[in-house]
Amino acid sequence: MRKGTILLLVLVLLLSFVLLFNGGKKEEAVEKKVMEISEFGDYSGITLNCKFIGGAMYEPLYERIPIWEESTGAKVVILSKKNHFDIDREMKQDIAAGTVDWDVGTNHSSFAPSYGNTFINLYDYVPKDTFAPFLERAIDNCTVQGKLVQIPRHGDVSNLYFIKSIFKDEENKRKFKAQYGYELKPPETYDQYKDMAIFFTNPPDFYGTVYVGKDEAVCGRFYEILIANGGRLFDDNWYPIFNSKEGIKSLQWFIDLYEAKAVPPGVLNYLWGDTGMGFASGTIGLNMDWAGWSAFFNDPENSKIAGDVDFVRAPKGDAGLRSGWAGWHSFSVTANSKNKEAAISFLLFLTNYDSQMSEARTGLLPSRAKVWDDIVAELESKGNDFMAKVFQTWKLSMAEDAFTPPLIPEWPEFTNILFPELQAAIVGDKTAKQALDEATKVADQLMRDAGYY
Amino acid sequence: MIRNLRKSRFPMLMITPSLVVIAFIVIFPLLFSLYASFTPYYLLKPNTLFNFVGFKNYLNLFRDKYFWQAFFRTILFLAVVVNLELFMGLAVALLIQRIVKGSRIIRTVLMIPMMFAPVLVGFKFKFLLNDNIGLVNNFLQLFGVTRVIPWLIDKKLSLLSIMGAEIWTSTPLMAIILLAGLLSLPNDPFEAARVDGASNFQMFRYITWPLLSPFVYIALAIRSLDVARAYDIVRIMTGGGPARRTELLWTYIYRKGIVDARFGIASAMSYIAIIISILFTYFFFRQLIKARVVQ
Repeated sequence: MRKGTILLLVLVLLLSFVLLFNGGKKEEAVEKKVMEISEFGDYSGITLNCKFIGGAMYEPLYERIPIWEESTGAKVVILSKKNHFDIDREMKQDIAAGTVDWDVGTNHSSFAPSYGNTFINLYDYVPKDTFAPFLERAIDNCTVQGKLVQIPRHGDVSNLYFIKSIFKDEENKRKFKAQYGYELKPPETYDQYKDMAIFFTNPPDFYGTVYVGKDEAVCGRFYEILIANGGRLFDDNWYPIFNSKEGIKSLQWFIDLYEAKAVPPGVLNYLWGDTGMGFASGTIGLNMDWAGWSAFFNDPENSKIAGDVDFVRAPKGDAGLRSGWAGWHSFSVTANSKNKEAAISFLLFLTNYDSQMSEARTGLLPSRAKVWDDIVAELESKGNDFMAKVFQTWKLSMAEDAFTPPLIPEWPEFTNILFPELQAAIVGDKTAKQALDEATKVADQLMRDAGYY
Repeated sequence: MIRNLRKSRFPMLMITPSLVVIAFIVIFPLLFSLYASFTPYYLLKPNTLFNFVGFKNYLNLFRDKYFWQAFFRTILFLAVVVNLELFMGLAVALLIQRIVKGSRIIRTVLMIPMMFAPVLVGFKFKFLLNDNIGLVNNFLQLFGVTRVIPWLIDKKLSLLSIMGAEIWTSTPLMAIILLAGLLSLPNDPFEAARVDGASNFQMFRYITWPLLSPFVYIALAIRSLDVARAYDIVRIMTGGGPARRTELLWTYIYRKGIVDARFGIASAMSYIAIIISILFTYFFFRQLIKARVVQ
């Protein structure tokens, strides 16, 4: 009996192993064939399983899905809808478990390189000129090692919002000129931005500015100021070099604002929702943010600064460059999908002219060139000058300032190394140099382990 | 007949489904993570699971200062939280024991914090302690405190704030276990002590505490195991930050294993983390056995 039990246990364990690894077996290779795929083919009987980014800004597009379903006869099932960081974790677990058994997933230009061969190269299935109506820069940013693994949905770059009235106030103008020696007007450089943020600050009732203080978000902000100041994260051979004098100056900008109490004290726990809501509450003077907030900030239902909000392009650093950390939210088709043609058709629908116009009306930055012009014309014809100016300003940013973070698989892990060190410097546990030296050392090991050198 | 039954394969067949379930949900994950701890398993490169590197992950961990900071911070967190919960739980239990009218209602009310999921407790305390819109800071302003206190950022306050949330949610559990112990104590020793003129403190010191100690050690063992794997509340309130100030073992393991997708090293960390739980459990059970022997 005892021997039998042991034998049975061993068999059960063996069975578990067999089942687990069999479950992870890869699908057979599907023949790749470049062909014209219509947004509205006949895909009756096909069901597409999807994992999408969720949130108020992203939802309106999903309301258009029934149009595609009715036209093609296919069915779309949304398996998961989460913020991108959670979706990223879910995808990593799917990749590890060999359970990428869905067809379409949300993606992002910063994260796509880390997913390896999980998603198809769209160039293997549709002619390159299918993507001609998209912005060339968007297609470039969505290309990983020559493969177009994602179709850009909308872009993301930050500009500087500010409360108009505090800049118009004559008393403020006089005092600022006396204190800093130059005119008070929306800042053109990060040094001016810091001066003005400190000048406007009157804690705890009013803070000059706010910034995202943790995770990839604070790394992105640091990165774009570093570039604007003439620095770089990595050299041409991928050695980390951000502990340079430009790096120290960039980090010092965050430290100085924190020490001057020009940002709320809890800022290191803040992400995008906190900064946006804080600015809309009327207790913050300047706020770097993406265009997606613009309509919200100017909506009296949601914002105390509606009618009193304006924006300028992102400030410049010491190198005379504007900051322009950018990325593209996108969609991809999985390599395991058994319905790739339908999946591509679906994505072409989700990013077609009408879909992009509907997203642009909410303030999201389109990836199709024509939509940029048409949305401005539409807004102007409706007398919505504020939103028309949003698109005109952000169009310039996208064309002249935008740059992505390094498109390498290690980017998410790199940001996890960097952000606690940035925080340590901001709260005064380390100097800017100590923090950046430590992050550089650990990042060097990461790149070494990853085989870059 | 019994012998025939033993020889029969029927009982074995009957328990096979449960063995399969147990193998899948307990034995297999344990063996799998133990094996993974000897590999550089990177979730995004599943083939790394088959690259056996021996004790490399464990040796790397000994050089990882952030891991050891999180390790010792977890022990500090555990020691403070469990001791304060014991102290407060005992005080609450002793008070409730004396209440004659309405004790059932009070016991039910006492259990309310336990009914919240830790994630909700985390969100609630995060909101209460928010530097800008938090009730605590706004309340303090009523008393002339003009400085905004960064409860979840400050070097000392951030960990204390998380401890506060943990204590708020779990002190009732401690109180309920100890109250059950108090209600089960025999009356005779107390009556005898009263006749001999013993003070309340003497009765507590020489009768209540020794008789209650098995319950105390059981409560401590349960809570130590719970607190040693604290994750939800910390993740919601601070995410282990800022600048790793509130990083505990399981938030660090999560960061490595899930966010960075380095499952191999995260598995090695988990096995070291389990040592804390085993040590505390062993200590309290030894004390429990001693207490029972004394009785």
